[in-house]
Amino acid sequence: MVLGVKRVLFAVLLLVLSPFILPSDAQQPAAPIKVDQITGLVGVKNKTKGTVTIENGNLRFAHGKTNVDLAAASMQDVVTGNDSQRLIHGTLGTLTMVAPYGSGRFLSLFRTKLETLTIKYRDADGGLHGAIFTMGVGKAEPLKKELVARGAHTSIPIQEDADKTSTKAPDAKEPKP
Amino acid sequence: MTRILQRGIVFFLLSITLFAGRGLRAQDKPPVKIKASSISVAMIQSDEIKLPADFQVALYEYLIQQLQKKGGFEHVYREGDRNAADAADLVVLHSTVRGFKQGSERVRQLTTVAGATSIDIHCEFTSKDGKSLLERDIKGKVMFFGANLRATYNFAKKAAQVAHDNFSPTAGT
Repeated sequence: MVLGVKRVLFAVLLLVLSPFILPSDAQQPAAPIKVDQITGLVGVKNKTKGTVTIENGNLRFAHGKTNVDLAAASMQDVVTGNDSQRLIHGTLGTLTMVAPYGSGRFLSLFRTKLETLTIKYRDADGGLHGAIFTMGVGKAEPLKKELVARGAHTSIPIQEDADKTSTKAPDAKEPKP
Repeated sequence: MTRILQRGIVFFLLSITLFAGRGLRAQDKPPVKIKASSISVAMIQSDEIKLPADFQVALYEYLIQQLQKKGGFEHVYREGDRNAADAADLVVLHSTVRGFKQGSERVRQLTTVAGATSIDIHCEFTSKDGKSLLERDIKGKVMFFGANLRATYNFAKKAAQVAHDNFSPTAGT
């Protein structure tokens, strides 16, 4: 009898407190991330600047009025990588190469670090596509994590999973005699 | 008199050069083109060489773009495209990475002579049933200007040129 009352009280307590439970991060629409689309999106020119967001299980690339959606479920492989580019890049960067007294070479020493996100995905006809994005440091891995959570596949485990397996690995080793 | 002799010698030499050039050109036969109206591009394979994912995808995408631009085919299909099954005179392009050296853009810009990125790729054009039609080793390089990925673009341009020179939708008709 006492156990029954406790259960009822617990259920009531849960009911009362439920409005105060904060929605999880996964449900919140993520802020747009500034990216450069290097190549691979249908209908978008190579080297186009834009933003990516994850909406309704899709990766949305927005550039001006153009929006391109990639369904996370259609992604066969999502891989992150590191890269760097000149601080002064593009046409101006090329022009600095001919700057006098080797100043162009000196300027090329200054570089910004980048992260790359490479996605392989299939279109409606089953055709394989690949898309490459570059973005600021620390943005590619969370994006990959979110895509994998929404059904994308990856050939390289996510950083946290990799860390877990690497910490487990020493336990698996036999102690030396 | 000497002037006439000099002019005669110059004329003689010029005419020899001209005829020799024509003779050489006559020996350069254009390659016999294979009939192919569409091409299917397989994803770049790099089982033996460790190739970064962005390089693999860039090679594949630039290759498709260049083949669409100047390959001379009516259709360029991607790997796995179901529409390719019904295509007539289809050739399949298989590319395997045989060598890869990732250079450094910074080193290239500082030294000019070092830091080149290069990719060696073995390209095999086969028929639908897997019969080999043409094999070529094509190199992609970036030596002076541009990011490392430019080597993939360089490869794609060369591969599309090879396809253009050896295949044609109207060949043998």
